[in-house]
Amino acid sequence: MWGGAGVDANDRLDRAEAAKVLARAARLARGQRRTAGAAVGFVAMATATALVGPLFVRHGIDQGIRLNNRSALITAVGGYLFVAALGYLGSRRQYVLVNRAGEGFLRELRLRLFAHIQRQSLGFFDRNKAGVLVARMTADIESMSELVQWGLLQFVSAGILITAALAVLMVLSWQLTLVALAVLPIVVIASIRFQRSSNDAYLEVRERVGNNLSTIQEHLAGIRVIQASARTDEQRRRFKASNRALFDAHMTTVRVSTWYFGVVELAGVLATALAVLAGGWLVDRGSVSVGTVVAVVLLLASLFEPVQQLSQLYNTLQSATASLRKMFDILDTAPEIDEHHGSVDLPSTGALVVDNVQFSYPGSVQPALSDASLVIAAGERIALVGPTGAGKSTLAKLVARLYDPDEGSISMGGIDLRNATLASLRQRIVVVPQEGFLFNGTIADNLRLASPQSSDDDLLSALDRIGVRRHFTDLPDGLATEVRERGSRLSAGERQLVSLARAALVDPAILVLDEATSNLDPGTEAEVEAALERLMAGRTVVVVAHRLSTVRRADRIVVCDGGRLVEVGTHDELSALPGGRYAALAAAWESSRPTAPPLLGG
Amino acid sequence: MSDAAPERGSVRSLRDTDWSHLVSLLRDRRRGLSIGVALGLAWTLGKIAVPLLTQSAIDHSINGDGSVLAWSAAIAAAGVVTGSFTAARRHIAFRESRMVETLMRERIHDHVLGLHPAYHDHAQTGQLMSRMSADLNQVQMFVVMIPLTLSHVALILGVAVTLVVLDPWLAIVALAPLPFVNVTAKRFSNAIHPAVLAVQSEQAQLSAVVEESIAGVRVVKGFGAERVRMEALSTEADDIQKVSLRAAVIRARFLPLMELLPALGLIGVLGIGGLRVLDGAMTVGELVAFNFFVTLLVWPLRSIGMTVAFAQRAAAALERVHEVLSVDPAIVDPQHPQRLPAGASVGAVAFRSVRFGYGDGDAAVLDGFDLNIAAGESVALVGATGSGKSTIARLLLRFYDPEAGAIEIDGIDLRDLRVDDVRRAVGIVFEETLLFNDSVAANIAFASPSVDPDADRDAIVVAASLAGADDFIRSLPAGYDTVLGERGYSLSGGQRQRIAIARAVLADPRVLILDDATSAVDPSKEHEIRSALSTVMDGRTTIVIAHRPGTIAMADRVALIDGGQVADAGTHDELLARSARYREVLAALVPSNDVVVGGDR
Repeated sequence: MWGGAGVDANDRLDRAEAAKVLARAARLARGQRRTAGAAVGFVAMATATALVGPLFVRHGIDQGIRLNNRSALITAVGGYLFVAALGYLGSRRQYVLVNRAGEGFLRELRLRLFAHIQRQSLGFFDRNKAGVLVARMTADIESMSELVQWGLLQFVSAGILITAALAVLMVLSWQLTLVALAVLPIVVIASIRFQRSSNDAYLEVRERVGNNLSTIQEHLAGIRVIQASARTDEQRRRFKASNRALFDAHMTTVRVSTWYFGVVELAGVLATALAVLAGGWLVDRGSVSVGTVVAVVLLLASLFEPVQQLSQLYNTLQSATASLRKMFDILDTAPEIDEHHGSVDLPSTGALVVDNVQFSYPGSVQPALSDASLVIAAGERIALVGPTGAGKSTLAKLVARLYDPDEGSISMGGIDLRNATLASLRQRIVVVPQEGFLFNGTIADNLRLASPQSSDDDLLSALDRIGVRRHFTDLPDGLATEVRERGSRLSAGERQLVSLARAALVDPAILVLDEATSNLDPGTEAEVEAALERLMAGRTVVVVAHRLSTVRRADRIVVCDGGRLVEVGTHDELSALPGGRYAALAAAWESSRPTAPPLLGG
Repeated sequence: MSDAAPERGSVRSLRDTDWSHLVSLLRDRRRGLSIGVALGLAWTLGKIAVPLLTQSAIDHSINGDGSVLAWSAAIAAAGVVTGSFTAARRHIAFRESRMVETLMRERIHDHVLGLHPAYHDHAQTGQLMSRMSADLNQVQMFVVMIPLTLSHVALILGVAVTLVVLDPWLAIVALAPLPFVNVTAKRFSNAIHPAVLAVQSEQAQLSAVVEESIAGVRVVKGFGAERVRMEALSTEADDIQKVSLRAAVIRARFLPLMELLPALGLIGVLGIGGLRVLDGAMTVGELVAFNFFVTLLVWPLRSIGMTVAFAQRAAAALERVHEVLSVDPAIVDPQHPQRLPAGASVGAVAFRSVRFGYGDGDAAVLDGFDLNIAAGESVALVGATGSGKSTIARLLLRFYDPEAGAIEIDGIDLRDLRVDDVRRAVGIVFEETLLFNDSVAANIAFASPSVDPDADRDAIVVAASLAGADDFIRSLPAGYDTVLGERGYSLSGGQRQRIAIARAVLADPRVLILDDATSAVDPSKEHEIRSALSTVMDGRTTIVIAHRPGTIAMADRVALIDGGQVADAGTHDELLARSARYREVLAALVPSNDVVVGGDR
């Protein structure tokens, strides 16, 4: 909730833009047309009955009481009772239908937005912060839920109420109505001013709430640093400042709404006073009945309440429109990596050819990789080494088509990866990241990530292939063990094993590995190494290597530096290269080992 | 967003709740609250006056005695009164309730900030934040109702009395359905609450699916798992729709009923009142006034029903707040604090037979731990994972008190010193550097309260230069004024570490603790940091918690921690030569016999 709470320019948009956004939303909601139509029907019915009530009161007074006609009075009572019951039933139905239509729309929006976000390539996720994307899918859609649940209902009913009340008032007595409505300008001006200032005030509150929560979060996350630095009093003082700023922002909204409510209430009573005044005079002249005056006074109440409601609704609408606009911005972002027409499946095996590739990350001037050419034979094991930022991870990502090169091409078995179907691409080339990332669910769910239709036997044989079947089947719940959030129920090593088994289940021709930089405990480390060794057997492997032992086991070594592939060869070849990068790197490795190496390893 | 949702559903008996924190705050705000109540009463009078005046106006206009103008003016005057009182009472009610919320939030924040780290080891950030946001919201919503409710009660009583005076029998007819409005409102509020919580909890679950899909996007892409994730999301989206519909059904059951009940009163008044007018027992004006009064009662009755439900929720929230506030800080200043001696050669540290464990059930981490560090000496603590190296640092900062034994700085037990004095005497460079959402300068001056980040810029620059941070800071967009932290500029691990070292340099503590200060750093930068560190360590008592061999070499002496004690101490070479355990531990520090390099984006 605290993520994405900030307020930016996107939260303020002008009328034309707002209209465009809303029209697009209406098009999106077409699927809910029938339900929404029925909902509006029931809202209208419930609202109409609320208006008819006072008419029966008039009938009862004028036809019954004044003319001394008991049966007319009883008719009026019966009629009122009937419409009240009708209103009750219509109102019951309206809640359910409005919810069904509104939530149906939100569900559609959620699915569409998520599907679109998932289609985006990694570059999109580099540019957009995770917190912001999550906020789009959650807070932004939820902020619309209020509009959809209450807002539309109120909007329709208030609209009908105002129009109908005005119409009935005019029919009853246009003279009285016009007199009473002399207060209307006050209400209109007040409403416009209220909308403007309350929107600003509301945005301000939202921003301050976000700031205040970040301060709390920062203080809780940094509690040890704060206490170790003897800073508690200073941080308390700072929190007080941010907390009081929030209070002030709240008070601004209170002031804004307070005078508005007062003015609307005053206007309502003034309208009554005017109606009574004019009514008295007109009754005196015999041009209106007392019953009419009474009905007018009652109806005036149903005129001012909806005006007030509509003004408050405006804020909800404003923030929903802002949320919608941000969502449409995402929906309008075309995925960079997509399957184009006429794509073909990748062959089951073949050489991986990197041909003169250049690539830079969005927003950076410096190319992350340039003039990169490399031919990797089927079944060959390649280690990429080099300092931070040398381009080794970039090359690995390009090989798996997580990004597309800016220039040059990468192909497998003679087919450019950009011309391959995405399904075959993910089947042939699998990336195993540094750390085993697990999703909430069972171990089996996590294994089935890439191939949901795999049978239990498939899972077991995949585990067998990398020699870790017993490890998981021996758990009390076996493969049905819930791994919990981010796999927290399992150890880091076990998560890595699941991640490897996942790849084994896909059985790819090419494996792209990012070696972990952090260490596991020695026991698990050995098990992971063994599983990895089995997984790599018989496959083309491209590994971003951080350890000498991994580098030693590779068929060839590619040294990256400054975005270029500076040296390619076997360990012996490169070590022998006079003045070579690899030779220097290997020497640095040796020297940064602990002193007295013979004693190490125990 | 996702935390603590289900527990909020618990509704406690109002009598069992400890209201003391709220009551004491309300007492502080009693002036504003009483004004709110007084204004509410004045508003009530205005509200009652309007229908009475309307009644008289109608009755008089029928008689045609020409007084209608006066009556209308009176109605308008009553309108001005109710209008301004509506505004004023709203303003005051909200001001007081927001103030109570604000003060209570400060009280919780300030309390939590002073609680011992052992509390924070177990407390969840999300839960505490929920205490200071969602729970206080519940309290605020209740407090805002207090003056409103009091005036509503007055309004109901006033109207009831007026009606009874006007016509007792008709009053009974008109008022009969109204208690049901109150009951229905209360029942509705209780029924809808769990339904709303269910919606929130489903939303949190959907949010979790989105979060992990985005956090794990590399895995999703790498395995082409988009379809699987889409199914997970669509399940959650369906669930939201389902529980939301359930809430709508509850609304459908109660809300229309609350509209219907007062209408029944109105119909009764029209029917029976009409007959009475026909019988000449009542005037038309009185009938209209009756109608008006009945409508007037609907909202106050509904709101009283809601207030009761709000009070129940506020009680549950206050209970949780109380739980936090009733935790006493375990680490406090002594009654008669001593002062650390001044002098040129200070910073001697002594651990004397210290025993310490993290919880009741847990085994002691340290037991019979003895270690003397002379002023100006540097000692590297070496031990296997979980041997208690970091615990030693935390004890020295007095994050925890030992169960037995004593820890002394310059011969004074930490417990005899003011807590702030201990923490100014001991500086620490944490394993992970936490930067605050503030300028670089302010982050460096974080541990030095006497240094003003803007005024004392020179001192900060000197500290940054010593820590080898000056160069990169100057290349930042706004130099020393660049805002860091989660919402600011992000620095690399090595840069963060150098900021932390500069922080320690500026604070100039007697004793410096370096908790694996080089682990997050690129090896090529490691020697730079090491040279920065050796400047800082020069002549200062330093405890290095070492995880890698290179760092061990920086210390004068090595203490091997094993079995909760100092198993052996001496120079690195001495220990290598004589201690098999030392060699074993060293080997485990770098498990696979080679060194990790790089770390790429």
